Amino acid sequence: MDRETLDRFRDGDESAVKTVYERFRGPVFAISLSVLHDHGLAADATQQTFIKAWQAATTYDPDRELAPWIYAIARRTAIDLYRKHSRSVSSEDVDSMALPPALDTIWEVFEVRAALDRLPEEERQVMKLSHFAGLTHVEIAEHMGIPVGTVKSRSHRAHQRLLDMLRHVGET
Amino acid sequence: MSEERAEYLATASGSPPDRERLDLIRGILGEEATWSEPPPEVGDHLIAAIATAPTVRSSTSSRQRWPLAATAVLGAAAVVILVAGLLGVFSDPNRQMVTIEGTELEPGASGQAWIREADAGWWVRLEVEALPAAVEGTYYEGWVWNDDGEGVSIGTFHLRGGDEDVILWSGVDPADYPAIWVTLEDEDGDAAASERIVMWGRPDES
Repeated sequence: MDRETLDRFRDGDESAVKTVYERFRGPVFAISLSVLHDHGLAADATQQTFIKAWQAATTYDPDRELAPWIYAIARRTAIDLYRKHSRSVSSEDVDSMALPPALDTIWEVFEVRAALDRLPEEERQVMKLSHFAGLTHVEIAEHMGIPVGTVKSRSHRAHQRLLDMLRHVGET
Repeated sequence: MSEERAEYLATASGSPPDRERLDLIRGILGEEATWSEPPPEVGDHLIAAIATAPTVRSSTSSRQRWPLAATAVLGAAAVVILVAGLLGVFSDPNRQMVTIEGTELEPGASGQAWIREADAGWWVRLEVEALPAAVEGTYYEGWVWNDDGEGVSIGTFHLRGGDEDVILWSGVDPADYPAIWVTLEDEDGDAAASERIVMWGRPDES
């Protein structure tokens, strides 16, 4: 994201907020859904995250990366909603539900989703059909109506790109 | 090494040294959450919420609130509703705030409705406090109501995700339908407004 957009975001510019939303809506929704396991609540968390980000944008330093800043807001928002919802559905054993179970890997979920969103669409689709739908290269070729060789080359490029973008994921 | 790692990520075959890390990424790639998209209305609601936000950030503040205008007491369907008729209107004529108060069904509830004209309708953002989440099987419905007793639904919500702001949409001009109602509805398929009015408000007419 270019510096001018980040500056406008910090100044509360509506179009910059929209640009930030388009860039991070996928990662924010992904971690919200990981924490909340409910599409409606995850949508609420996503909306609240970006409203909070807009309200707090004057505190954002455009010299620093935006992703961790957005992530921190999204994580807190999802946890807060999880706790509220836990209390609303059951009063038993609230302590054990105080924190959602998926917290250890949600930063990695955020990073992986952000990386996927930066892949060319045709490579992203191959990744989805392969990893999420569990299709073989032959099945993907049939599904997409393209040669198996094309699927293999797209898959290879996509995995290389993804690894390049995720160099730090999982490192301690 | 790079080839081996990419191959492992794709097929889980081979033995790259950072296998544990690649397994983590593979696991995430197989999760539904990783590939899910927020509903399209989330982006629309976000922009509407920002556009109608009362808490304008200091660097962009240009609003001006009109003074307290009046209060009113109205009777409706055997329910006496106390209305704190605070009306605030931004200097921008397209933005308006209407105070909404709980009825005897939810006497502790309070809030504001922020109305902003858009290209093909009006965004209505409700900020409500102390209105409990609708229990399973019920939901809240927002309405705008005219002086002839005709109401138009502007959307539904349940607050089961917390006391977040609620974004609704009116296709009719709130100037013609000045009263705002929130009713509690059962999930029974009946599109008519129930008589369980939990919040109410309208701009001062003086």
